[in-house]
Amino acid sequence: MNNSLWTVMIFTMRNKLRSKSFIIMTIVLALLLVVAGNLPYLIDKLGGGDKITKVGFAQGQQATIVEGLKEYYAKLPEPGVELVSIASEGELKSALEAGDINGYLSFAEANAGGFPQATYHSKSAFEGGTASSLTAALQQVKTDLVIKDVGLSDEQRAQLFAPVKLMTEKVSFANEKGKTEEEQGMAIGLTYVMIILLFMSVMITGQLIATEITAEKSSRVMEIIVTSVSPLKQMWGKILGTFIVAVIQIAVLIGALVANLTMPQNADILKNFGVDLSTIDPKLLVFAVFFFLAGFFLYATLFAAVGSIVSRTEDLGQAVMPITLLTLVGFYVAMFGLNQPDSTLMIVCQYIPFFSPFLMFLRIGLAEPAWWEIALSVGILIASTLLIGWISAKIYRVGVLMYGKRPSIKEIVKAMKAYKV
Amino acid sequence: MNSLQVDKIIKNYGDKTAVSGLSFEVAAGEIYGLLGANGAGKTTTMRMILGLILPDAGDIRYLGKPYSKEQLSMLGYLPEERGMYPKIKVSDQILYLAQLRGMSRKDADQNLKRWLEKFQVPEYYNKKVEELSKGNQQKIQFIAAVIHNPKILILDEAFSGLDPVNVELLKTTVKELRDGGTSIVFSTHRMEHVEELCRNITIMHKSNPVLQGSIKDIKTKFPKERVIVAAEGKIEGLDTIPGVQRVVTHEHGGYELRVDSPEVGQSILKHALVQGPVNRFEVLEPTLNEIFIKTVGESHE
Repeated sequence: MNNSLWTVMIFTMRNKLRSKSFIIMTIVLALLLVVAGNLPYLIDKLGGGDKITKVGFAQGQQATIVEGLKEYYAKLPEPGVELVSIASEGELKSALEAGDINGYLSFAEANAGGFPQATYHSKSAFEGGTASSLTAALQQVKTDLVIKDVGLSDEQRAQLFAPVKLMTEKVSFANEKGKTEEEQGMAIGLTYVMIILLFMSVMITGQLIATEITAEKSSRVMEIIVTSVSPLKQMWGKILGTFIVAVIQIAVLIGALVANLTMPQNADILKNFGVDLSTIDPKLLVFAVFFFLAGFFLYATLFAAVGSIVSRTEDLGQAVMPITLLTLVGFYVAMFGLNQPDSTLMIVCQYIPFFSPFLMFLRIGLAEPAWWEIALSVGILIASTLLIGWISAKIYRVGVLMYGKRPSIKEIVKAMKAYKV
Repeated sequence: MNSLQVDKIIKNYGDKTAVSGLSFEVAAGEIYGLLGANGAGKTTTMRMILGLILPDAGDIRYLGKPYSKEQLSMLGYLPEERGMYPKIKVSDQILYLAQLRGMSRKDADQNLKRWLEKFQVPEYYNKKVEELSKGNQQKIQFIAAVIHNPKILILDEAFSGLDPVNVELLKTTVKELRDGGTSIVFSTHRMEHVEELCRNITIMHKSNPVLQGSIKDIKTKFPKERVIVAAEGKIEGLDTIPGVQRVVTHEHGGYELRVDSPEVGQSILKHALVQGPVNRFEVLEPTLNEIFIKTVGESHE
């Protein structure tokens, strides 16, 4: 009779995969991810990187400063600002209007500090990039001028400007070598992706499972189905079928993202950012899969149980609210924990089964929990997944036959006794 | 051996009794009527037969065997509240339900085509249920209940909401199934259907079986209290005959009288013959409808 589980699974999958809303949603999400995957490349191509802003100045005004600015920009590999000399102060405005320059600098009289007040005039007040570039340049020019006054040697000057280098390395007690900054970055990235994936799939597929069960109940197909197949098989067939559909969807989406990220034009840029997919710790991936599965089934059975006790689709939203809140809390605690993986909140919550799929994985990725912490958390999670699956199946068994208003816990327990489950 | 044997089943929900000590047997090729007012315990009884609920006491046997998972494939069920997946094709959901009953997809497909052909709606194979009219959805629902050739079929309000043509069509089909050897448990509020189809019935009232047996036997237990008499002209003074309770004059000639006992009929006939020739006279046995109202309605007070 195990093929009835199979039949329910196939039926669930077939209907989901064929439904227009599912196909459209997957395509739209995939397209969004293709765009997101190409974002580094697009930013590089479309961004202001190689566009040069022409900044005008009036010839002769504050010649030393202008000379310093020119020297500063000449040394930069990608200056982004080109200084254009305009005959007189009066012509600056007309040159801007004509479009010969993108903006111009003017200087007021030198104040007490000896450096004149500079003003950048442009058509838009929001040209932050150019303004900050000019600020940095002027700062440099001012520093140079002061240094020249003090009379430091070139050597002393070079020493003064040599940047300080600070390397960071996370200390690992379990492994011989600690994680490098790159590996750490990848771990954060992977944790982030996994938490969002789990959250999304629980929210979307959980709602889906609950909605389908309630719909079967309200359309009374349930009465025929429960007389043909045991409720337990039906519930698990539905959960597994929806799970496979969710996995297919996730695979399509991740496939679209990774395929685009690894395309040559993006791969180089990602490398510049220090992102290298091959530095992901395989152990972390195994944990990712485990916590994803455990978290998914924990919540899916809960959603199924709630779906089974509601008779009308209109009442479902209210009924699943507590579960939705649980996932939300788990998600936000995890977001908080990205920055403070060792806080007390995290250490307490990592043992709570509803949160541990998010939090224990995060701690494994970002902190260094002791082996017994991991074992305890995983143990509690597995035990409670099984327990909740068992309770949910019982609720499901009586829930599917209860019509009318949403039953209270007392009524469900009473019904369980009456139905001898 | 009878296909379905229900032996003194009892079911309590908390301190409320839903079914108390009900027994009946359905032979192969028999339609058994399960009657009762709303809330009398019919649906609970059917659910126990279907194995959805276990009885607190008593025993249900299917072809002599107790309930087990294998029994499921020989049971067919048409629930009172009709329901199909609205957005799924007729063929998809019927085949799904048939597969759940342990049929192979291929056999189920053949059966489905045969049934659609029989109901003269082969074009529904690829239609979604929501595109069909209510009556046609009901035909599909009926097919879903019988697609796997069940030996025991449970029909809860099978003909409600159908037009007379379709009622006739389904009634014929049910009779064919009966003649093919299917045991059918049939529940309805339409007594004329029960009289036409059922051999034996149980009338339930407030969880108790109050009247059981073959329709023929039941009817003989109830006195004949109706007399029909009709003549060419008017018959005067019918209400003055002793023993006559009530006289109803029919629109198209004739009178229907309610009497205390069947013997009063003779004095009615004598009375009428005095006034001229009588072209119709009949002492009627009670209809099931009357018996039902009498049984359920009287003990109601």
